[in-house]
Amino acid sequence: MPRNELVWEKDMKLIEALKTRWIVWVWNHTPTCAEMSRWASVSLDRPASLKVRFKMRLHNLICVWCERYQKHLTFLHRAAPQLPEQLETTAHRTLSVEAKQRMVQRLYAAHNC
Amino acid sequence: MEINPHTTETAAPSPPAGSATAPPRLSDPERWVEEHGDYLFKYALVRLRDATKAEDMVQETFLAALKGSDKFAGRSAEKSWLVGILKNKICDHYRKASRETSFTDTEFYCAEESDKFISNGLFKGGWIHELGPLEWSSDPGASLDSVEFWKTFHDCSNKMPGNVTTVFTMREVDGVECKEICKLLNISENNLWVMLHRARMALRRCLETNWFGKKT
Repeated sequence: MPRNELVWEKDMKLIEALKTRWIVWVWNHTPTCAEMSRWASVSLDRPASLKVRFKMRLHNLICVWCERYQKHLTFLHRAAPQLPEQLETTAHRTLSVEAKQRMVQRLYAAHNC
Repeated sequence: MEINPHTTETAAPSPPAGSATAPPRLSDPERWVEEHGDYLFKYALVRLRDATKAEDMVQETFLAALKGSDKFAGRSAEKSWLVGILKNKICDHYRKASRETSFTDTEFYCAEESDKFISNGLFKGGWIHELGPLEWSSDPGASLDSVEFWKTFHDCSNKMPGNVTTVFTMREVDGVECKEICKLLNISENNLWVMLHRARMALRRCLETNWFGKKT
């Protein structure tokens, strides 16, 4: 029993060491998070190349923050076009009665001359 | 002359046949303001962030519509015709504004980025752990039905500097192509990307602080 446990512990240590090396390797071969956030934005404006997409995917394997960041940006990018409509239905602000009267008056004035 | 603010369509005397293409009668401006005024106002307000300017813009739209009403032969819906005029007016406004204010202000940019990433060491340029993006709710899409969410969204986008907001609204809200925005505002594509990047970053963080972070 104790011998098995020892082997188990050794395996775990090895796995941990490999994991760390993997993370450091990916980190060294992909853009930094600051650059990733820039790429995430630009890729919404023009299609990213295969290489860029691959590097971003690779980076996301070790970085949950960048993955979330891209998810959030895409979410906002898709949601934003609804803004005017939503503001309309929620009656955020409307023209005041006075403003409307002013407009009508000016329109009549313009119409008559 | 029927200058009656309460003239409704049913109460108005029925015009002769072929009225669909006839120039607007005197009652039309009134109806326009009543029917489309609020919509146009919100349309302008979302894009200009200034109630006074938005009001002026709507007024100008109606005046232009009145002048050009003979060109509107009922080919498209009245509302989209008016929105079309308003759109042109807003574009003119952006163009003028781009000449007056610098679109390359960097003040806002520096503050946005530098303090969120690790500044030295092996993981230089990585997210500072406590400041990294949080997990939003499992279904952020549900927020899209919430009135409060859109108010927060609007407030957050208003917090950015004017020219950044302009660029953000054109690109993200109106979906204008980058090339067109660059041409209209006379800025380089690189410059535009930087501005959009900062705008998205600021909006994301603002919503996380004021909406998604708050809910759980």
